[in-house]
Amino acid sequence: MSLTRSEPPLAGAPVEVRDGALVEAHGGALVEVRDLTWRPFGRREPVLSGVSLRIEPGSRVLLAGPSGAGKSTLLRALAGVLTTTESGDFSGSVLIDGAPPAGSSVGLMMQDPDDALVAGRAGRDVAFGPESFGMPRDEIWSRVRTALASVGFPYDEDRPTNALSGGETQRLALAGVLALTPRLVLLDEPTSMLDPSSAAIVREAITSAVRASGATLVMVEHELSAVVRGVDRLVVLDPDGRVSADGPVGATLETSSELLVAQGVWVPGVPAPRPLEVDRALCAPAATRSAGVSVSPGDQVLVSAESVSVTRQPRASVMSAKRHLPAVQALVDVCATVSAGECVAVVGPSGAGKSTLTALMAGVDTPTLGQVRAGAALLAGSGTDVPEVIHGWTSRALAARFGWVPQQAEHVVVARTVREDVLSTSRLLGLDDEAMQARVDGLLKVLGLSALAGADPHHLSGGEMRRLALAGAIAHGPSVLVLDEPSVGQDRLTWSAVAGVVVAARDAGVGVVLATHDPLLIALADRLITLSAGRVVDPEAGPSPSPRASALSTVGAATSQGGRWAGLAGRSGPLSVLLASVVLIFGAAFISDLRTALIAVGIQIALAPVVLGVGRPPWFRLLPGLFAVLSVGFSNWLLSPGHELSTGVLAGLRVAFFVLPGVMLAARIDPSTLGDHLGQRLRLPARPVVAAVAALHRFESLGEQWDQLVRIRRVRGLGPGRSPRARGHHLAALTFGLLIQTLRQAGRMAVAMEARGFSAAATATVTAPVGAPARRRTWAESARWLLADSLMLALGLAVAGIPLLLSRF
Amino acid sequence: MTDQPTTGNPAPPAQTPQTPKTTRPTILASGSLMTWRGVDLITAAMLAVAFGVMFWGFDTFIYPILSTATAGFPPAGELMLGVWLIPAVVGALVIRRPGAALFTELVAANVELFLGNKWGVAVLLSGVLQGLGVELALALFRHRRFGVVVAVLGGVLAAVFEIVFYEWYSYVADYSMAWKAIYLACGMVSGAAIAGVGGWALVRGLARTGALNAFPPGQEIRESHPV
Repeated sequence: MSLTRSEPPLAGAPVEVRDGALVEAHGGALVEVRDLTWRPFGRREPVLSGVSLRIEPGSRVLLAGPSGAGKSTLLRALAGVLTTTESGDFSGSVLIDGAPPAGSSVGLMMQDPDDALVAGRAGRDVAFGPESFGMPRDEIWSRVRTALASVGFPYDEDRPTNALSGGETQRLALAGVLALTPRLVLLDEPTSMLDPSSAAIVREAITSAVRASGATLVMVEHELSAVVRGVDRLVVLDPDGRVSADGPVGATLETSSELLVAQGVWVPGVPAPRPLEVDRALCAPAATRSAGVSVSPGDQVLVSAESVSVTRQPRASVMSAKRHLPAVQALVDVCATVSAGECVAVVGPSGAGKSTLTALMAGVDTPTLGQVRAGAALLAGSGTDVPEVIHGWTSRALAARFGWVPQQAEHVVVARTVREDVLSTSRLLGLDDEAMQARVDGLLKVLGLSALAGADPHHLSGGEMRRLALAGAIAHGPSVLVLDEPSVGQDRLTWSAVAGVVVAARDAGVGVVLATHDPLLIALADRLITLSAGRVVDPEAGPSPSPRASALSTVGAATSQGGRWAGLAGRSGPLSVLLASVVLIFGAAFISDLRTALIAVGIQIALAPVVLGVGRPPWFRLLPGLFAVLSVGFSNWLLSPGHELSTGVLAGLRVAFFVLPGVMLAARIDPSTLGDHLGQRLRLPARPVVAAVAALHRFESLGEQWDQLVRIRRVRGLGPGRSPRARGHHLAALTFGLLIQTLRQAGRMAVAMEARGFSAAATATVTAPVGAPARRRTWAESARWLLADSLMLALGLAVAGIPLLLSRF
Repeated sequence: MTDQPTTGNPAPPAQTPQTPKTTRPTILASGSLMTWRGVDLITAAMLAVAFGVMFWGFDTFIYPILSTATAGFPPAGELMLGVWLIPAVVGALVIRRPGAALFTELVAANVELFLGNKWGVAVLLSGVLQGLGVELALALFRHRRFGVVVAVLGGVLAAVFEIVFYEWYSYVADYSMAWKAIYLACGMVSGAAIAGVGGWALVRGLARTGALNAFPPGQEIRESHPV
């Protein structure tokens, strides 16, 4: 992990950017923090206490300390977004260039790149900040281009943001921060969610872009070795939120290295931690503990994936006007096995298919082609009711043999307290409770969670949550333990505990599968499976092809209309299409006799090719609407006073008059474009519109989180039974889990968006950003009302008026 | 973005001194009720989209089964109406500002619209009416009460608005008056039970997990047990 260093341009000198334009380096801000203390409501102890710092313009500061020391909180205070999601007691002052942090002079980049995404296309995403500060359209786009070039973004402005890797998304987020030419750049663990090679590229982009701008940099990072060479000062916070060391990087590291190591901080030059000695009995499989299972020593294979391929068909998309998203080939013809008592590490770059393969090996995912089979060693003693092919297993059968910790370990909460959570699967499996409780307490102790045993799991930090998930996955004694990035977010001390559990489980005869980027964990593995672009590669065979491009190779391109007439709706903006559909609802109320209904619907069918274009009707979209028409017709016939057939037909046609065109026209509306039109043409308040569009972009990722919750409950033995009551309970638990994730994510999004000026136009005290006066939000893309829009609306009104007209004659 | 971190909550208002100590004080949204914070808007929109994900599952997998089961007696189908009213109630109880119910329900309706659904653009009209029903309930209590009674009233009024101002003219226009009344009653029961009690319980549960700490319901929990 070496940083390639490029010669920095002199601060204050003009900087040449890629497209040839010259921009003034805008220099760095002076940061003065005086006696800053912050105690959020509901906590007894302050998170920051008496922090004083003076950071000279243009300096680059690394902020370190154990987890929970208030590093992120201090960054939020510097960005002026401390109170976005929290309220509490604040004292002291934060001054940026002598003024409170406000406006576009401060940029904040967060840990998870997805939290910063607000738009469907790269350029529009970067434009968010300039739009918020009301910059004119020309300037918005010139800033977007400059910012994208400065981070080395490899695609053009139209690149869909959901087709980016984690590292690319993080560079996009950096561009979004730099587009406001901030004089103070704040980075909160910007590479912790990335694999080593993506992380190196992002770090390089940060170093060169921030140097070029001359901005002051404050960066939080717990993996100090990766970043110490890019900074010139180190500030260490202690667990009580005080500054415990401050000075030039080299000297400060020397003096406080021992203390930092004791607090668990990853310090460069200090030998790697060793796995903790963990009692094997805590991790032994239940199968061997309960009965002496007789399996021939030569046949120890527990799980084998046989030529598995996985093709993912994205869930229905809200955001794309063409709603057929191409399928993605996640895994191609992969064979993998894990045997009892071995630890297999699945390695490879991000997007190579590690998570997909490990989910298959854990029995929680189903391959598109090929099979995942249980070996004799895994089936031994289980009777004949469990089939060899794993994905047909019941939740209970799966839970008895598998433990799985997904990458998003924060989803794994299945009970009200930490202890209950770890015990829950054992209880469902009817395992001996007393022995089990001792085992659970032992595991909690090893993983440093004893003090939290009675706490609500939702209150744990990210690293604690991951250890809880590990405890819950191993406590009931599975024979196979599958862990996806188990060491992310762990400090030196907790890393030892996690690695200790992995080693103990392996030594106790569990088959362990790890997906990981962590070189220290990889070193513990007995065997490696190296994936690249969804295929197994021989690590000796030299450099693998570019992973992302081929991993995302699409199967079956999106259906395209070609040059065919896309209808009036295809040429109109979203607003006229929407209005035309809405007026039909009111027109329908005037349909009071069968003749009117037949004529009105007949005219609509005749007009359909003009409005919607020619081609086969998309029955899959129309089907629910047709079903609605039939059910309305039936129920009105049944419950009308006279029970006449014509009444039912009339009721059905009345609904068909507005439902079917509405269904077809809604398919033509792109939500982002609709947002632009609502804001510019209807002059709706900008913030609600922008918030709604940003949230709609999360539909797919929320859908994936739902799927993940379903998998976790299944492997923990909590899959629904057949009874409606169990299913209802299951759905309620999933709903609750998804809402918690949603709320957390909304909070992080709010911080990221506020840091880019989301509420700038709504707040009176905004200072004018460089080059633009503070005023109303502007829009990067225009929303013109075209002739086609007028025609569309006129046609809608004319058709809606037919029933009224006919009822007069 | 000001440097004046406001203490989120002014003194709990509308509490008479005689209030028994067992009831927690109601915490109102910070600042002026009409001035939405950024996090209010983003959270309401994200909640709406999460409900949209669930509606999608409900519409695709569950509703067809239930509606087939109730085909013999269509008004019974209206006993499911409450499911679609939950976003309005939850949005209102979490954000506690005028417009929260309307905004949340309308964004959730948009998710259904863009995914494709059986009622087409009409879901937007439904979303507006349902949101307004809950808004009326909160306005009747001057945005000062957010307990189960208000939630139930909100669920009921949302159902009434949806049925009386829309469904009576569209889906059930030719029912006899008696059947229309039964249909309305079914919707009201569902609104009260699923959206009212259900939505209220959901918000309470979420507040307990700490996920609502940025909002008044979470602050109420925190004030009673500081950590």
